[in-house]
Amino acid sequence: MADINIGKAPPNSAVLPFYATAAVSFLALCLLLLAGAGSLTTHYFSPHLLAIVHTAALGWGTMIIFGAAYQLLPVVCERDLFSPALASLCWYTLTAGTALLAFSFLDFHTGWIMISGGALVVFSALTYFVNALLTSRVCVRYSAVRLFIVSSAAWLLCTVVVGLLLAINLAYPFFSKSHLEILKLHAHAGLAGWFLQLIAGISSKLVPMFLLGKSSKEKLLRYSWALQNAGLLLFLCDGYCSGITGRTLLYAALVTAGVICWLLYLHDAYRRRVRKSIDIQMKHTFISFLCLILALLLLPVILYARDYRWAVLYGTLLFMGWITGIILGKTFKTLPFIVWNGHYKDLSGKVKVPLPKQLYSEALVRWQFRLFIAGTVLLAAGIIAGSIPVIRVAACVWVLLSLVYALNVGKVLLHKTKVQP
Amino acid sequence: MNLSLTDPHYREKIKAQQALYQVIDPELFVNVIDLGLVYDIAFDESDTIHVTMTLSTPHCPMGEAITNGVRHALEIAFPGKKADIHLTFDPPWNFGMLTEEGRAQLGA
Repeated sequence: MADINIGKAPPNSAVLPFYATAAVSFLALCLLLLAGAGSLTTHYFSPHLLAIVHTAALGWGTMIIFGAAYQLLPVVCERDLFSPALASLCWYTLTAGTALLAFSFLDFHTGWIMISGGALVVFSALTYFVNALLTSRVCVRYSAVRLFIVSSAAWLLCTVVVGLLLAINLAYPFFSKSHLEILKLHAHAGLAGWFLQLIAGISSKLVPMFLLGKSSKEKLLRYSWALQNAGLLLFLCDGYCSGITGRTLLYAALVTAGVICWLLYLHDAYRRRVRKSIDIQMKHTFISFLCLILALLLLPVILYARDYRWAVLYGTLLFMGWITGIILGKTFKTLPFIVWNGHYKDLSGKVKVPLPKQLYSEALVRWQFRLFIAGTVLLAAGIIAGSIPVIRVAACVWVLLSLVYALNVGKVLLHKTKVQP
Repeated sequence: MNLSLTDPHYREKIKAQQALYQVIDPELFVNVIDLGLVYDIAFDESDTIHVTMTLSTPHCPMGEAITNGVRHALEIAFPGKKADIHLTFDPPWNFGMLTEEGRAQLGA
């Protein structure tokens, strides 16, 4: 018997429902985009756009990240997940909370339904925070990756608590500050605190692992963590006290410097990689980084331009380009292995079993990649041109992409054990 | 893993190595021998085959599948014997442990 605990992956019930729900949410998100193409040419504080953004951020991004994180926290921290039961509970509350919020925003029905949705999401974030903190608390090695994971979970909790306060403020106004100003702080705590730091942390572990490329420059990750958090904290404090001013660019520069440090670390691992061939899933990741860089370059334009289109383009590049891009690629780097383990880990070596990559269609992943590039370029062009017909065509491409993705995810999830003697 | 012609269990070790060529890392698609995951295979007078091996990373998500694969492959190659897997991270696995064939399979 193995005399070192190589760890047990959490039960599939704590992971797979997140992947399945995220695929459905992604389809819903793309249908919302098609139904409300016009909302992308107006101010971002519109009911339809709020429904789109919350479906993207919670139902799609956070949902699948929770599933992947529950699977990967043990790998990163080199110990078992603190509580699989809490992870399962988290799925119920996040799914119900997201659905309530999206429907409330869609017809802008402020009140107890929206507040209940927000409260359920806060509960989910709290359970995730507890699981992340207590799984990483006894990490064998205290790495920069762990710092990113814990801080991102804390930022998620802050973001959703402020979101809940915003939902309450819509029904029962109590803020002394402008609702829209607080909304900007809420959005950036989510983007730069939750998504950026979680993606930076997890990718710093996974990209070198998938490429078999080790970087010795872990210092870059520590600088990245410090710069991202310093920039975000300064932005939030100054933004709350004085509103959004020209100083925002200074804080954005700090976060951007943090992003550069993180990307330099990944580039170093890429340069030293043993595995030379780059699969289509990794190409998704590279395109997603490009979208992040483009979004960061847009920040000065958003600050000084009066036109709302740049803010909408910024959000689109972040949600549809960066976050969606990385998820589309990483889904087929994680999900087939999770499902394969459930079916075949006890049969390995006994009989001939399929490989994890045979659980999904590689042809569909290639189409997914093409549709993702086409959809992102068309959507950005439509927003820049302010053309609703172009946005509608782009949304059709996105609906097709979400169907291709859901079909492939379904193929993996519904896989039946196949063995050859 | 080093093999010596003077080893009294040379034949068994060769047979075990051949069996382990069939155990593939599901993520890298390279067998455990060419990945350099197997440090030693020891035979004694008992019915147990002692395997000292590692994983590419501690808490590797595929760890259980790989160690089960090694155990099953050896127990099929040597009916009546049991395989005892001793997992170690000392020394930790590194890219230098890949064989030339392993590097070629990874496109290095």
